Amino acid sequence: MKWLNGWFDGATENSTRSVAQKTSRRGFIGKLASAIAGGAVAIPLLPIARGQQAANAFPGEEGDRSSCDYWRYCAIDGFLCSCCGGSINSCPPGTEMSPITWIGTCENPLDGVNYIISYNDCCGKSSCGNCLCQRNEGDRPVYNPRASNDLNWCLGTSSNTYHCSTAIVIGTAIDA
Amino acid sequence: MKKLLLVLFLYSLTAFGEIQPEQIGVIKTLPETYPAHWIIAQDASFFHMNDGKMIVLDADSDDPSARYKGMFNASFIGQFYQAKTRPEMYVAETFHARGTRGERTDVLTIYDKRTLAPIGEVVIPPKRASQMPLDYNLQLVDNEKLALIYNFTPATSVSVVDLVAREFLTEIPIPGCSLVYPLGGRAFASLCADGSILSVVLDENGQQVSASRSEKFFDANDDPLIEKAAMIDGVGYFPTFKGNVVPIDLSGSTAVPGEPWPLVGDKEVGWLPGGLQVTASDAKGHLYVLMHKDSYDGSHKDPGVEVWVFDTDARRRIDRIELQLPAISIAVTRDDDPLLVATNINMEIDVYDAGDGNHLRTIGDFGQETPLLLHGAR
Repeated sequence: MKWLNGWFDGATENSTRSVAQKTSRRGFIGKLASAIAGGAVAIPLLPIARGQQAANAFPGEEGDRSSCDYWRYCAIDGFLCSCCGGSINSCPPGTEMSPITWIGTCENPLDGVNYIISYNDCCGKSSCGNCLCQRNEGDRPVYNPRASNDLNWCLGTSSNTYHCSTAIVIGTAIDA
Repeated sequence: MKKLLLVLFLYSLTAFGEIQPEQIGVIKTLPETYPAHWIIAQDASFFHMNDGKMIVLDADSDDPSARYKGMFNASFIGQFYQAKTRPEMYVAETFHARGTRGERTDVLTIYDKRTLAPIGEVVIPPKRASQMPLDYNLQLVDNEKLALIYNFTPATSVSVVDLVAREFLTEIPIPGCSLVYPLGGRAFASLCADGSILSVVLDENGQQVSASRSEKFFDANDDPLIEKAAMIDGVGYFPTFKGNVVPIDLSGSTAVPGEPWPLVGDKEVGWLPGGLQVTASDAKGHLYVLMHKDSYDGSHKDPGVEVWVFDTDARRRIDRIELQLPAISIAVTRDDDPLLVATNINMEIDVYDAGDGNHLRTIGDFGQETPLLLHGAR
């Protein structure tokens, strides 16, 4: 799920803005030619299709993964699993990861490459309540679900109760 | 022990028998039609969503205790609708058998406006869209005989409920489209990801009679319609990401998109609509839009610092209301001397005179946490 954040602390001048301004969302609809960037994705990424695989190595990343400013969170809306007993790409103990999700396109400042980020939600427990983060680069209204962070993506799980959100790199974005 | 209690009871009769005891068991009720300046704050309880609340408040009152009129629940980001033709309110909500786990049950709960008590419920498919509160997840059509609930699994469909018989009727697939906008008669419309709009006509049993899709009339990626439209005389006014507004005539059984017109002037660089509930309308047909400046990619949900008021017939702005604090959602009361209410970034409610824009009061400390949406009461 996604939403809120700056609303609670009045952080409209949040430091994500500078990131936002330089981070282009490369029109992932129809342009998404993603390349798996290291790390197996164990669950299907419906409804998002993956394109051809690429041999490029993921160069790594830097920064504080519990900070809303962190590069992977450019289109997230929810509680960061990094602050909830999980990590940037894993769910906290006892939760269940949603098999389907929304995606964003975020620029890794380390290599300047745009990566496709899958924001799988972790489900089955009530709101984590820690590290609420809302950023909306590339976010679109709910009638465009795959790009919408207003939806609770705890779908296809045994409970639709939302707990926190991950930010998993699933590929690189390539301009059409 | 019983003897002791009896003695105490007799003693109390003896000691206080000369006064008229107050009646025990009194429960207050509310009027069937709420005063025009009452509002309903939709507190999604974002940090514990199973405990969502709908709180009835008198926005005219400066008395912190007296302005709280009552509340009722809305479980797990419930969606809300107030009937116009009967003293009922509806909440589409979700429960799990054991709180956060167990079998999921979705219901349309029917509340009595006078008692704020549930007076009925209809079990609906456990598919209702779980998302930020938005008016167009739950709508009524056919003179409020039918309720329509938007589903997202992520396949999209609409559940149809007969509110007279209080029974679920059917589910109508709306592939590629989302939400429910009421059309005239027994019909609804849904916005589609390809930039078109779907119109679905129903029969008296809620079954689909026909469905038609418009030509593509907006770019859902480059300049999307903000789905949080204001309704004025059967026309939905949809702001766009880039600062236009698209009127869609919803008064007939088919949605008819109109010509866009600009909300933002050439010299007003950086101003755009944004927030959670970004639009409202009043009885005079004015359109209110929550606006922020210094916009950027992704600022479309940022709090607004002004509310711009438009005459939709003349297609021109007639007022700018500067907000005391930035706000995420706005609503306007239904009367001819309306209040503008806004959820500010402190999660309090600021009350303004919609006519002259004066800030009248701030309503806080009413047990709220995240009153994400506001509704002028009916």
